[in-house]
Amino acid sequence: MTTLQTLHRILKKNFDLEPAALPPEARLGDLQIDSLAVIDVLFEVEDEFKVTVPSEPAAQASLRTVGDLVAYIDRLVAEQRLVGDEGAPA
Amino acid sequence: MRRVAVTGIGVITPLGNDVEAFFASLTRGCSGIARLTGPTAKRRGVDWCEPARTHIGGAVAFDPTLHFSGPKLRMLDRVSQFALVAAEQAVRAAGIVRDDVDRERSGVFLGTGMGGAETTDDGYYTLYAKRTERVKPYSVLMAMTNAAASWIGIEYGLAGPNLTFSTACSSSAVAIGEAAQRIRNGEVDLMLAGGSEAPLSFGTLVAWDALKTLATEDPSDPAASCKPFSKDRTGLVLAEGAAVVVLEEWERARARGAHIHAEFAGYGLCTDGAHITRPTVEGQSAAMRRALAAAALQPQDIGYINAHGTATLANDAVETAAMKQVFGSHAPHVPVSSTKSMHGHLLGAAGAIEFAAAVLAMERRILPPTINLRLADPECDLDYVPGRARSGVAPLAVMSNSFAFGGTNAVLIARNADGG
Repeated sequence: MTTLQTLHRILKKNFDLEPAALPPEARLGDLQIDSLAVIDVLFEVEDEFKVTVPSEPAAQASLRTVGDLVAYIDRLVAEQRLVGDEGAPA
Repeated sequence: MRRVAVTGIGVITPLGNDVEAFFASLTRGCSGIARLTGPTAKRRGVDWCEPARTHIGGAVAFDPTLHFSGPKLRMLDRVSQFALVAAEQAVRAAGIVRDDVDRERSGVFLGTGMGGAETTDDGYYTLYAKRTERVKPYSVLMAMTNAAASWIGIEYGLAGPNLTFSTACSSSAVAIGEAAQRIRNGEVDLMLAGGSEAPLSFGTLVAWDALKTLATEDPSDPAASCKPFSKDRTGLVLAEGAAVVVLEEWERARARGAHIHAEFAGYGLCTDGAHITRPTVEGQSAAMRRALAAAALQPQDIGYINAHGTATLANDAVETAAMKQVFGSHAPHVPVSSTKSMHGHLLGAAGAIEFAAAVLAMERRILPPTINLRLADPECDLDYVPGRARSGVAPLAVMSNSFAFGGTNAVLIARNADGG
């Protein structure tokens, strides 16, 4: 499942938003997802993607679209997988 | 001093989720108390009926998804959901149109004892039971005591005072009384006032049980476990719900042709200053006297009292003694009932729901009964309207008593709107 599809599932479950309304260019503000709601979404992202969302309010506040969110999640997943691989026993 | 009209009522209760259902259940002597099973017990994925000693409560049948959706629903504790729906009913019933509201001169006063207790409980469950620090991001916003009042203010864009009163079981009587005072003295013209409570979560129930104030379940009929003024009363039954009334400056309400349920006539407030739980005859009677004085009414003008009547051993005897002290030789002639026998004790929402019951009783000329009163107690010897509702009455004014842990006593009086 792609990051976008998983995000669609979270937004459907928590905000009752249909995937059709969530193309990458859709603006979060237009979907009533304000900065507080983004925090709520990231909370679910931690569960779904098995990542820890760091405390970086500036980066999170700059997320404007569904695509921004996808890119942010992909970055976290990539970074944390790398760390995990490095830390894994040989 | 300006006059105050009650022009809208909204309720979410164990006896029904609108005024008609609520009052019909009250006058039929129905009980909203039952064993807590189903969604109420399982909401947190814990089947807590087994470990808890107390299994009964007054639960509301309420599906939040019928009223809220999306991000908003995720930010509302059950206590705020109840408050918002009750407020919506009251505003709609009052026929208030948003454009006609002077938002600077309109506000919200709400009472709640415990605020977002379910969210608090949920957070503790996450932290201590699931052993993770992943407490929900909205926990603070959902649990804070003023959340319900704030959401109402946001919903209607009201820019006047928005205050939350927390005086335990008298919280919402205080909220209504204080709101009426602000209108009387000219600070505001319109107030949404009332209370909300959602205490039927495992932690809250167990805490109340530990205090040894909760009723023992009636072995033959759980619905009959709350027995105010009866010799065999064993304590209160916790319940959830909300009630909101629209209070309006009298001339404004008349000018716009609003239906006026009653005139808000008087508010009596005092504090025992004696003990954290034990009530006093002096405190309760002083609050009643102050309310009568504020309403410029005599004891014999009161045609019905909705008692605090918790069904605890202490309250009912003390309240009876206090009513006798205030009403004197007239006391045996005033019908008194405890509707808590039917809807249970809504804590911070109790005063508002009982004020609503009293106003509706006066307007519709039928007094709700005290159910489950089968064994006379020599210490409780007034006319408690036992068993069956009483029609053929025409109260000039009604009184609603609310007393509380902490000792804040609040008494509200409403007067028949037709009486001049």
